[in-house]
Amino acid sequence: MLDDVSREERYSRQIRFAPIGAEGQRRLGVGAVLIAGTGALGASLAQHMVRAGVGTVRLVDRDYVEPSNLQRQALFDEEDARAALPKAVAAAGKLTRINGGIRIEAHVADIGIHNVDGLLEGIDLVLDGTDNAETRLTLSDACYDRGIPLVYGGVAGSEGMTAALVPGATACLRCLIGGDNAETDGDRTCDAVGVISPAVEMIAALQAAEALKWLSGRRSLMRRSWIGMDVWSFSVRESRLPEPRAGCPVCGAAGAAAERGSPAGKQPGSAAIVGAGASAGEGAGWRAVADGSLRMGMESGPGDGERSGAGMDAGETKHGMEREAGASAVLLCGRDTVQVTLAVPVPLAEARSRLAGSDGELLADNAYLLKWSVPGGERIVLFSDGRALVQGTADEERAIRLCQEYLQERREPAWAE
Amino acid sequence: MGRMKDFRLYVITGENYHPGRTLREVMEAALRGGADFLQLRDKNASKRELLEKAKMLRELTRSYGVPFVVNDHPDVALAVDADGVHLGQDDLPLAAARSLLGPDRIIGISTHSIEQAREAQRQGADYIGVGPVFPTGTKPGRAAVTTAYVAQAAAEIRSIPFVAIGGITPDNAGEVLAAGATRLCAVSAVVGSPDPEAVCRRLLARIEECSEAKAAGAGPDALRTVTVNGQAKPTSAGSLWELAAQLGLAEKRVVAEMNGAIVPKAEWRTTALPAGATVEFVHFVGGG
Repeated sequence: MLDDVSREERYSRQIRFAPIGAEGQRRLGVGAVLIAGTGALGASLAQHMVRAGVGTVRLVDRDYVEPSNLQRQALFDEEDARAALPKAVAAAGKLTRINGGIRIEAHVADIGIHNVDGLLEGIDLVLDGTDNAETRLTLSDACYDRGIPLVYGGVAGSEGMTAALVPGATACLRCLIGGDNAETDGDRTCDAVGVISPAVEMIAALQAAEALKWLSGRRSLMRRSWIGMDVWSFSVRESRLPEPRAGCPVCGAAGAAAERGSPAGKQPGSAAIVGAGASAGEGAGWRAVADGSLRMGMESGPGDGERSGAGMDAGETKHGMEREAGASAVLLCGRDTVQVTLAVPVPLAEARSRLAGSDGELLADNAYLLKWSVPGGERIVLFSDGRALVQGTADEERAIRLCQEYLQERREPAWAE
Repeated sequence: MGRMKDFRLYVITGENYHPGRTLREVMEAALRGGADFLQLRDKNASKRELLEKAKMLRELTRSYGVPFVVNDHPDVALAVDADGVHLGQDDLPLAAARSLLGPDRIIGISTHSIEQAREAQRQGADYIGVGPVFPTGTKPGRAAVTTAYVAQAAAEIRSIPFVAIGGITPDNAGEVLAAGATRLCAVSAVVGSPDPEAVCRRLLARIEECSEAKAAGAGPDALRTVTVNGQAKPTSAGSLWELAAQLGLAEKRVVAEMNGAIVPKAEWRTTALPAGATVEFVHFVGGG
């Protein structure tokens, strides 16, 4: 942290920008933003928010850094990929070095109805950096329920779309794209059609600008449109966003986005940066702020100091209840990867010792996850919140069987008869 | 009618539109794309050159089972056993061409007004061209007859096929079809494209969509022209949802914009589709 540099100096160019000014900067400093997904869009968005001096930047991501991310995910480097660090953790590590005067939180978790309430606690605006419509719809529902704006962004290929969805002012995402989660075949994702970095930055820039308007108090200046752009062919299309739909239980019933960010209460710059100074292993000076069961796993991990109070307790309860049903699996669209959620999270230390006596080959081992390959060719990445990504298969049942084989009591795998 | 067969997509050669590519490769690409009538037109070639080109195209079109006519030259047509000729208003009169070619071969006539169309039909033309619908580089200086003449021809020329011609592209084909054309002719849009095959397929898709829309609706009167993703399109859809359904998009995760504003998906069924509406359907972009 630059102790000897005043806030006025640090943010002088932003303060000099008249629409923000000193008052806008003060509001930014007490604002809190959730970056949902810390991949390509998320990393860029996070950097914008951190550099701008937003008081609290909460990062949440379910994935870890791989070499194929480095082409466009601006906060990660080769060392992060080698260490297979969770994206939220790796991003937070870079971001603290950019701005030590704000609070940065990293959550390694999959956003869902089980934890979204906790993740939104204290948040003024959500920046969307997720990679799928289902999570976005979950966020939209929760944001409208709480009167928090959601700035949608999506990229694929050389194109992208973005819109600021504001409770009380615009329709919700469910109204715009339809709510049926089965309608996924038309989605354009990076895994299906690739993506180039300029498309990411173009959309992230537009999202970040809207976030700065909202968080600095210039809310009347929010752009009320849906933008579709292509940075390769260069085309821009801007469409007016409809108002909340009277018949919609999500946006029709939502009140206006809450006017928050009053100077009372929060103390900019005074909050400790979560995880700073924690002696996490693997060379990362970072640890995740745990949500629900992740915290459970973290307790057995190295470098787990006192946890930060991010108010995730409500999420924990829901999470736990949901898990009683047993292991569940979901195919991650277009990625040849299945995410398996175990009924009972397996602590990483326990998984590590089980693995030692198996035919699995350990590929990565850090405070947040274990990654190993199996003779069938799949790679399994176990996170301490009880999730496992099984890469190299689209077969959900096989993914579950593999997780059971390596992580639960020894039994004959059903497929090896 | 002899050698005449009905057709949907008529393509005319235009070598000046594809420097660097041979006549054969370009025309074969058009045939692969579904062109089902071919005309050799070359006002600059010597008769010997024309004969060589005609021979080559005769062989090529025969292998695709597609009728082949030569512009303006009955002698060349006969020499290569083409299926017939196409004549302009200033070329050999139809009766003279018929006496040379006999009753079985095809004679097509370019017409620029309903009077000329009636005359060609009366004299025994096997088909007529109706155009130029739009201004075109192929016939510079000739005033476009617009889709009004297409509508007249559709109403009146019933005993022989007519094909709309002149500046037609996949983007404006919808307008021509909405006016009543069922067959299209293209020159520069096809042979001037780096991918003639794809352009032919798109033109045929437009024709197909229009005929489906007419079959589904109560005839051309029920069709309105709307612009969908930048292309004019005749449709019988009464609502935004019906339009999306016709395009196979109703069940997809698609954002719809009409006349500049996003329409919530739940309102697609109750959103009327006025003639002239500009609609954009955009697949939701999901990467992050």
